[in-house]
Amino acid sequence: MSEEKEKTKEDFEPKIVGFLCNWCSYAGADLAGTSRIQYPPNIRVIRVMCSGAVDSVYVNRALLEGADAVFIGGCHPGDCHYLNGNYKARRKMVLLKNILTTLGMEPERIWVRWISASEGQKFADTVKEIVDETKKLGPNPMKEKWNI
Amino acid sequence: MIYGLKIENDVPKTVNNFLKQLLESGKVEAVLAMQETPSGRSAFPTMISDPDKLDTNVFAPLLPVSTGAMVSRLTKVKGSKKPLAVVLRACELRALTELLKLKQADLENIVLIGVDCLGTFPMKIYSNYPGDEDPTEVVLKGEGEEDMRTACLNCKDPVPETADLIIGIFGTDTGKSILLDTRTEKGQELINDMGLSEFGNEKDREKAVLDIRNKRDEARKAFMEEHSDIIGVEKLLEFFDTCVNCHNCMKACPICYCRECLFESDVFDVEASKYMAKAKSKGAYKTPTDSLLFHITRFNHMILSCVECGLCEQACPSDIPLMDIITAIAENAQAEFEYLPGRDPEEEMPMVVYREDEFQDVGEG
Repeated sequence: MSEEKEKTKEDFEPKIVGFLCNWCSYAGADLAGTSRIQYPPNIRVIRVMCSGAVDSVYVNRALLEGADAVFIGGCHPGDCHYLNGNYKARRKMVLLKNILTTLGMEPERIWVRWISASEGQKFADTVKEIVDETKKLGPNPMKEKWNI
Repeated sequence: MIYGLKIENDVPKTVNNFLKQLLESGKVEAVLAMQETPSGRSAFPTMISDPDKLDTNVFAPLLPVSTGAMVSRLTKVKGSKKPLAVVLRACELRALTELLKLKQADLENIVLIGVDCLGTFPMKIYSNYPGDEDPTEVVLKGEGEEDMRTACLNCKDPVPETADLIIGIFGTDTGKSILLDTRTEKGQELINDMGLSEFGNEKDREKAVLDIRNKRDEARKAFMEEHSDIIGVEKLLEFFDTCVNCHNCMKACPICYCRECLFESDVFDVEASKYMAKAKSKGAYKTPTDSLLFHITRFNHMILSCVECGLCEQACPSDIPLMDIITAIAENAQAEFEYLPGRDPEEEMPMVVYREDEFQDVGEG
């Protein structure tokens, strides 16, 4: 648990949970690191074998526990190591976002991006974009909810 | 083809005699249909092979379990070797269709007889039905709506369209005759030698079915509008405030077929220090944990196949009116994928197919 104190909107440092696929996005993040590309340290990366393996339960868990954004990174369409996992990931996240919209639960905190192993810069840019947008959105209200 | 079925005594007895004929003719070895328990306080889908024990009431306005889930339970290890007739309502048939797509049932040697559904009462009301009236008679008269389950009042379609044979009530004069609508060869074979005459009032039937669909559709829209204020974290937490995490909604759901649900597994059993860390992160933590996680995740897993039978709501010990939110969630989610559960047995489920050029706004940008 980091001890960073969170102040009001814009002024806070968002916590982002990132699910990155082993074959593309995780390697992209690796490349960003080895290339010494600077990006905000707000993301906590969880490596998964395929973006298609990211069940809604993981995303929900992160959001309900107070993560300010969840990022799912997969291979570009057509490039999935398992042929079609990213298409299935997309459908899963479309469904989750749809349900969260009906419930009024901030679907915009969920980000899906396709990042290949050679796109270190895109990974860094994406993290920066998510941090910026999440700062505009403010902290996740679930942080305060103990009765979930 | 639509045939008329003359009423002798009353409607349920006429249908019972029809099923008896099927049994006695040897066309089916057994019938699975709603039969009242000896006390009369309840009725269950019952497998009956002895014509003398056949005392069904397929119009009993009660949905204790989904017959669709029962067919899955009876056939998922191995399909039936002998011919079996299953009598079910529209929502039960829709559930069965979804379970078939999920490979959780086998229709080998099974003929599906659908019945028009007039709506059902909650178990608590049915088992202690007020006054001397028989609840079945009440719904056959077209009454009793004030006591009906919300799922029934908002039913998408009370006509079991994809059955082999439909026993129809809408658009008939229940004092004289009801109808038998054969939809498949299998259904036709059942009644070929019964010497039934044509129904003759197809127009009445069509109009009545259209009317009831429109009525339910309007009720559904009004219902969703009425409950559209359950939105946002605060309202949602308030809505689920009385949830005791018993998972009855999941167990009653015909679509929740997983042998071991993630939420019943030991995934959530962690050492005390983890719970302590949870408490520290928010200052406090309610136990049992993860009620909202359970519900939102369950919606994700079953909502595209949700047939809106309302069994989850009926199963809730805390009387949480689940259909107040599930109706809208199902409507929106199914619309997103242009999918209607149970509409067509050949239609593929949204989560097993994909198109390369869809939902471009998710993933790029």
